Amino acid sequence: MAATAHPDRNFKYWLISPAIFLLLLIGLFPLIFSLVVSFMHVTMLETDTSFAGLVNFVQLFHDARLWQSFVHTAIVIVIALPIELLLGLAIAYLFLDRMPGRQILVSLLMLPTIISPIVAGATWRLLFDNRYGPINQIIGWFAGHPVPALWTVNPQLVYPAIIFCEIWQWTPFMFLILLAALSNVDRSLTEAAEIDGARFWRSFRYIVLPAIWPVMSIAILIRGLDLFRIFDIIWALTAGGPGTMTETVSVYAYVQGFRQFESSYTAAIAFLVIALLTVIVTWAIRRMGLAK
Amino acid sequence: MVNRRDFGKISLAAGLAATMGRPAWAASAADAAVKAAQQYKGRSITIVWEAGLQSLDPTHFSGPKWKELTGMDVKVIEVATAEMFTKIMQDYKSGAGAYDALNVIPAWMPDLAQAGALEVLDPYVEKYGYAPELQTIASTFRDNQMKVGGKIYGFPDDGDVFLMYYRRDIFEDPTVQKAFKDKTGKDLAVPKTWADFDAVGAGLTDILKDKGIYGAAFFRQPPYAMYMFEERFRNEGGKFFDADTMKATINSDVGVKVFTGMRKENRFMPPGVEQFGFVENLATFLQGQSAMTISWPPYGRWAEGYGTDQEALNWVPKTAIAGKVGYALPPGGHPELAAGFALSISSTSKNKDAAYLFIQWLNSEDVSRQRVQLPYTLRDPFRESHYTDPGYLALWPNAKDYLAALKQASETGLLDLSLLQTDKYEEVMRQAISKLWAGDDPKAILNAAAAQWDDITQKIGVEKQKVVYAGWAAKSGAYPKI
Repeated sequence: MAATAHPDRNFKYWLISPAIFLLLLIGLFPLIFSLVVSFMHVTMLETDTSFAGLVNFVQLFHDARLWQSFVHTAIVIVIALPIELLLGLAIAYLFLDRMPGRQILVSLLMLPTIISPIVAGATWRLLFDNRYGPINQIIGWFAGHPVPALWTVNPQLVYPAIIFCEIWQWTPFMFLILLAALSNVDRSLTEAAEIDGARFWRSFRYIVLPAIWPVMSIAILIRGLDLFRIFDIIWALTAGGPGTMTETVSVYAYVQGFRQFESSYTAAIAFLVIALLTVIVTWAIRRMGLAK
Repeated sequence: MVNRRDFGKISLAAGLAATMGRPAWAASAADAAVKAAQQYKGRSITIVWEAGLQSLDPTHFSGPKWKELTGMDVKVIEVATAEMFTKIMQDYKSGAGAYDALNVIPAWMPDLAQAGALEVLDPYVEKYGYAPELQTIASTFRDNQMKVGGKIYGFPDDGDVFLMYYRRDIFEDPTVQKAFKDKTGKDLAVPKTWADFDAVGAGLTDILKDKGIYGAAFFRQPPYAMYMFEERFRNEGGKFFDADTMKATINSDVGVKVFTGMRKENRFMPPGVEQFGFVENLATFLQGQSAMTISWPPYGRWAEGYGTDQEALNWVPKTAIAGKVGYALPPGGHPELAAGFALSISSTSKNKDAAYLFIQWLNSEDVSRQRVQLPYTLRDPFRESHYTDPGYLALWPNAKDYLAALKQASETGLLDLSLLQTDKYEEVMRQAISKLWAGDDPKAILNAAAAQWDDITQKIGVEKQKVVYAGWAAKSGAYPKI
């Protein structure tokens, strides 16, 4: 047979090159561009776009408000994530057995997750409103007198309000993933343990948890990252206030970038966040055994 | 049967018809703009306008009318107020030239002008003969909201100013007057100072609370309360900066006094007033639950029910106080010209002349008089002729008092602080106010805010900002003459 009958060995690369180019364009280009901008003096209000060296990165370490925003983000994660996990797990256990209307109930439970977080935040702002919101009215019925609780103003109430909204919206996500994981646990193992006298906690600790851990750890990772980026609900409820008391990293980055127009400094914040998250996620993946 | 309100509407309609039918020989600025714009027939211009009620003006009234007169299309880009500055700057920085004409909050003008985003309008004013009509804009707006560095960058187009609205029926009620006299030893009168306001507000709450009426209610959400602080601080003698050093002086004794007073007054206002925004405060006043409030001019119109039968205004609570409202200047007598709008041209526009002619026509004596009377938009009177227009005076029985108060406010009004990167200073104030409602110490809040202002000034450049501040402070509406 003639050698010319062989197809061009590089032809396959030509075929996939447009897709790769497109991916690089939309994925890598903004990242590289942001990195370049973070070393410049770009603001929306000045014409100076000169090279700034490490000025923006040095500023990060002197910006107390930025580090406070990390603390605020951590508060939300540390409280909301375990509650969402435990609540999601408990509800998943409830729905593990067949029951009438199970599918409808599961669908209803999932409703909060399909609402846009900014809409959820705006809705909760109305619900928490002292004058028109039902929450204070309901509390007032139980208390026997009007309760003018200022959920978005009072420093003692703002975090509970934010975390409550967050849990309301995202516990169903945990529930659904954990329900799927629990449904795949081999029932014969738990039944055998039960026959051998193992109580619920022992059988959960040594049979169920190892079985659902790969899925559960992924759910924790996804929700943890989501909580790190939390923006919409806080913006709608408190806009980071009172003062900067509920300002998370995303809220602060938004304020710097789109209210203060500090483009280069915002790019530096973005790279700090990327670096921190890379370290944390790598550590978490190893700790959770997901790398195996 | 034609009632007074119908008569008002008929007068307005007649006014519109009469002006639109003005003969060609009457060379007003509006006519001149239309005549010159006819050469651009078939072109399309784009204008940035605040989203919501404001933009019903160009979409329902002025845009279609301009097309009818000139054959030019007007494309309206509706943008939320908080995003307008960003969108304008993004368009300018990208050089896209997507916008031809702009609505600009006057306090932004130094930033936009310095960046080069706005076209200098002096040559156009001269070319199209608009100078004489510019002179008939009320002096506060004309002298303070039009120029940067001596050049015209925008036409003041919205007479935003705070007024005090009070319940005349309560203040004139002999039973309330007697109860107030018995309680305080003073005659009940509309307060002219903040000390009087505190006494009247607290007294009326004590007397009327059982009937569900509070002495006063204000909007307290930080973006609104910030304007109220700016106004009151200057009425009490405060200065924002030391003009020599550019050190912030908002933490002076006056600032602390104002902050302390603002929080103390919440005690005689409805519970949860700290959360009140524009609508909550409006509802409280219109439903007759507060005896005094301070706000922008639409409150006065809606309290009389003007325009609230329009579909666009069906969210406005039905007024229970029509015919019972009085109008006055806020305590101190120098109200804040809070926000407002000016019409400008984008420096990257590809249709500068056509866009300019449109804004000249919009802003002209004839057309602006009709626009400020549109019931569904939020443009407020800003020309001398608006305050005395027979059509407007006939819109409701005491419209005369309303317009007289607005005219007085336009003469004594105070400008919003306008510097380089104003929003950075304003953001600090918004945060300070939210801390005030959260219960922090007023002195500590203002010390921290002043330190943040100093940092911002340092970063911008003290000398650079000093020049801009000096220019602003020299304007007639910057500080009251106390």
